[in-house]
Amino acid sequence: MRLPAAVVAFVMCCGLVVACGGSSSSGSPTLKWYIFSEPSGSFTAAAEKCTKQAKGRYKIETVDLPADADQQREQLVRRLAAKDSDIDIIGMDVIWTAEFANAGWIRAWPAERARKATAGRLKPAIVSATYRNRLYAAPFNSNAEMLWYRTDLTKQPPRTWDEMLAAAEKLRAQGKPSLIQAQGQRYEGLVVLFTSLVESAGGAVLNKDGTKVALPTGPTRKALQVLRDFSSSKVADPALATAREDDGRLGWEAGKSAFMVNYSFVWPSANANAPAIAKNMRWARYPGVQAGKPSHVTIGGINLGIGSYSAHADVAFDAASCLAQDDNQIVNATKGGLLPVSEKLYDDARLTKAKTDVTDPKTGKKSKVLAFPYAETIKATLKDAVQRPQTPYYNDVALAISRTIHPTRGVDPDQDVGRLRSAITKALSGEGLL
Amino acid sequence: MRTTSARDKALWAFGTIVVVFYALVPVAWLLALALKPDGELSNGKFFPKKPTFANFSGAKGVFGDSQFRAALRNSIGIALIATLLAVVLATFAAYAIVRLDFPGKAVVLSGALAIAMFPPVAIIGPLFNLWRSLSLFDTWPGLIIPYMTFTLPLAIWTLSAFFREIPWDLDKAARVDGATPFQAFRKVIAPLAAPGMFTSAILVFIFAWNDFLFATALTSTNKARTVPAAIAFFTGASQFSFPTGQIAAASVVVTIPIIIMVLIFQRRIVAGLTSGAVKG
Amino acid sequence: MTAVDTRTGSTAISEPAAKRTGLSARAKAERKLGWMLCAPAVIVMLLVTAYPIGYAIYLSLQRYDLRFPNDHGYVGLRNYGAVFGNALFWQDLTSTLTITVLSVIVELVLGFLLAFVMHRALFGRAVVRASILVPYGIITVVAAFAWRFAFDPTTGFINGLLGTNRSWFTQSWSSYLVIIATEVWKTTPFMALLLLAGFTLVPQDVVNAARVDGASGTQRLRKIIIPLMKPAILVAVLFRTLDAFRIFDSVYVQTRGAQNTETLSILGYNTLITRLNLGLGSAVSVVMFALVLVIAFVFVKGFGTNLAQQRGEG
Repeated sequence: MRLPAAVVAFVMCCGLVVACGGSSSSGSPTLKWYIFSEPSGSFTAAAEKCTKQAKGRYKIETVDLPADADQQREQLVRRLAAKDSDIDIIGMDVIWTAEFANAGWIRAWPAERARKATAGRLKPAIVSATYRNRLYAAPFNSNAEMLWYRTDLTKQPPRTWDEMLAAAEKLRAQGKPSLIQAQGQRYEGLVVLFTSLVESAGGAVLNKDGTKVALPTGPTRKALQVLRDFSSSKVADPALATAREDDGRLGWEAGKSAFMVNYSFVWPSANANAPAIAKNMRWARYPGVQAGKPSHVTIGGINLGIGSYSAHADVAFDAASCLAQDDNQIVNATKGGLLPVSEKLYDDARLTKAKTDVTDPKTGKKSKVLAFPYAETIKATLKDAVQRPQTPYYNDVALAISRTIHPTRGVDPDQDVGRLRSAITKALSGEGLL
Repeated sequence: MRTTSARDKALWAFGTIVVVFYALVPVAWLLALALKPDGELSNGKFFPKKPTFANFSGAKGVFGDSQFRAALRNSIGIALIATLLAVVLATFAAYAIVRLDFPGKAVVLSGALAIAMFPPVAIIGPLFNLWRSLSLFDTWPGLIIPYMTFTLPLAIWTLSAFFREIPWDLDKAARVDGATPFQAFRKVIAPLAAPGMFTSAILVFIFAWNDFLFATALTSTNKARTVPAAIAFFTGASQFSFPTGQIAAASVVVTIPIIIMVLIFQRRIVAGLTSGAVKG
Repeated sequence: MTAVDTRTGSTAISEPAAKRTGLSARAKAERKLGWMLCAPAVIVMLLVTAYPIGYAIYLSLQRYDLRFPNDHGYVGLRNYGAVFGNALFWQDLTSTLTITVLSVIVELVLGFLLAFVMHRALFGRAVVRASILVPYGIITVVAAFAWRFAFDPTTGFINGLLGTNRSWFTQSWSSYLVIIATEVWKTTPFMALLLLAGFTLVPQDVVNAARVDGASGTQRLRKIIIPLMKPAILVAVLFRTLDAFRIFDSVYVQTRGAQNTETLSILGYNTLITRLNLGLGSAVSVVMFALVLVIAFVFVKGFGTNLAQQRGEG
């Protein structure tokens, strides 16, 4: 049907991967950058800019991946396991580092390049790209959850989960909007919630080198208690057990919620969809678990890795460094809403003064609001941020955690510490069904 | 020929309305979602207050997305070719199984069934590697072949069930009456076989049209990516927002060709039904 | 059944006789033609599946985790032991069977009614037929989302309609309810279509004759219509059962397997795709495959209809 010469050429090329890859690099190689398709086009803009800056040394072409992180990983892994030389640069979710590095799918960054790629970057973002003391990816963008609240309901944001629960119960008694939005479905977001609570309580999921389960009894119990108290309370959204980030946003914009833990995408969204609520919407550090101690939330975001089977690894490192430069981070932030990894950019006027257009859906009136009014808060959050378990068995561990504590209203703080430990130990052995 | 009282008529009318309502309410719900502006998605109402076509046309509409347009072309082409080939091959096989005596037909029937039932998640990994080395990856044939494979069993079984009930001797009778073999086939056998063939065609077409698993695993660009795979590439306003409106709009769009197909194929089933030969 | 027998009888008589006396030239030619007609379909199916299925069976006997390319080797049946020895497998098997049985029964009854309406509709036939098939044509994932959003307490309209404030996916029974409702809505048309095509093979004058002879509606249904439609019913129920047994999309979209709704397909997906444990995951797939074969065997035997055997005794 459609087997033209190009396909035949492709066959021959595939048969001779090494020779073919080697010879074509004499011209200017085209580097394939696999990353999810960012709707504002900031990634393709960065690719064009770096292609221009390279002055013919390389070209960068983006290859779209699906929007869902699980599906991105599924496609990448299938190709990497088949030693696909087409993959030069990968936009990697922070939780993939250990798995990809350990399997030999991505290259460690040489010392000198690593130094440049990490200069001035937020420490937790660097850690997220590091496995066994070697840097495997260049930090590209970052994010973490904050607490969102409404000044028309709450003057002072609660500092801990307990305070938040109490405040919400009070609002409920007054008949005001009182729900708390969080991520409780059996998926990645629940691992984020659990890990953030355990770390904020002073514990950790795994030991330092990520080989054994840690989960010290005291902090884990406290974290589970907070989770249970919140989930079984009347102020948790009734659909908590199926809520993901976007469900939280919708619940918030519907006007029935007083608090929400969520990423910063909720800010432009609320301004566009629910300006009346956005008017009073404020942000604060994610609630802590221990009184007087700040919370530690898990870091998210994307790092740029170099595929092990790339025929142009050398220039790919250059290209990735170029893509991750500060100017591109600013574009990613202002156009696509993706937060930077370079610490100083959080004080950069291009970010702090950036505004977005908002159209009131009722009156059709256009106005402008600050795009990153929360820059100070998110910077502090990110500087204190922690990692989700860094192990090649991350997906097994995540599955073990979410399966054990879901639905969260049924958590039993006494029993579940032990159940979590044994489930995670099993997951770290990579065997058995989970 | 049937006599129907007024009460019967009313009953039928009611039944018909219930059936149409049952089938279409969730579809109407999708359409309503697609017409809702983002701000209305969480208002808990069925109908949009201020319907908008933003999810269909314009910058963030599905038709504004070149990937979606390419996917629509691929989907139509791939599904049609797969349908045609699968029905032709299945007709050959089913005819042989029902009408001819040869050893191994039970093996063909049960083997086909077994093949169709192997969990596809276990197949896509090895198939991906195989397709890459045969350079079928990201091509039309690369999807047409698996779609045929996974629908042939159903088509063969369905057609066998039909052919089994066809009074093939009518063919002989017609020829005794002086018809040529071709005339006998066209006038007598073909109308009887039509319902089965068009039923199979609908089933194959819908399978190929809906498949997500093979489409994501075996394509990588606009060259062959089909609509269900392309839908997974829609992004909301940001990384975490779910593009509800766009997905609903895309679903509404991809449902239209299905309705057209169904109307065309259904007419053929009806033709077989009313040909009169059944009554012989 | 008499109608069927008289139709096929005349050709059936000569064949077995020829077989007993050795193969005539005609029988040989018939054999050859039979094989030739089946060959294209068989070749296509083998091309796609022989290698992957063989490879999956091979993998199921290995320790093979994609993330640890250097650590693999033959482990015999250990992966199978790990599958059968795990309570999760049995729990997922139970929920899979629950969804399968409930949805197929509802679909058969509804499908029969729908087929009847499609067959006999007095007016607007084309509209009825097309609208019934629309759900079947909709992309499964999208159908699952549509139902999920409809029942969602924030975005949905169902709660408003029923005047409740229920979160449907936070409880086991209501999760099953929505999942099965989605499945039924989506695939009943498949049943109905196959049954409709079966209806077209029921000669109207036989039914009318029975009516004249005084057979009641139920009698006509049980004695004439259902026996004549038996092959169509068998194919419809068999394929729907095997398909429902592998249910993935709606569960994945609506609960991700939470509230005890996890099915074997989700278990397989978690093991193969999420955990990349190809050895263990292939074992799950092979076990599922074996179960499917058992179901198919029981069906075909239990139903007493073998399509391949129609020529001999009829």
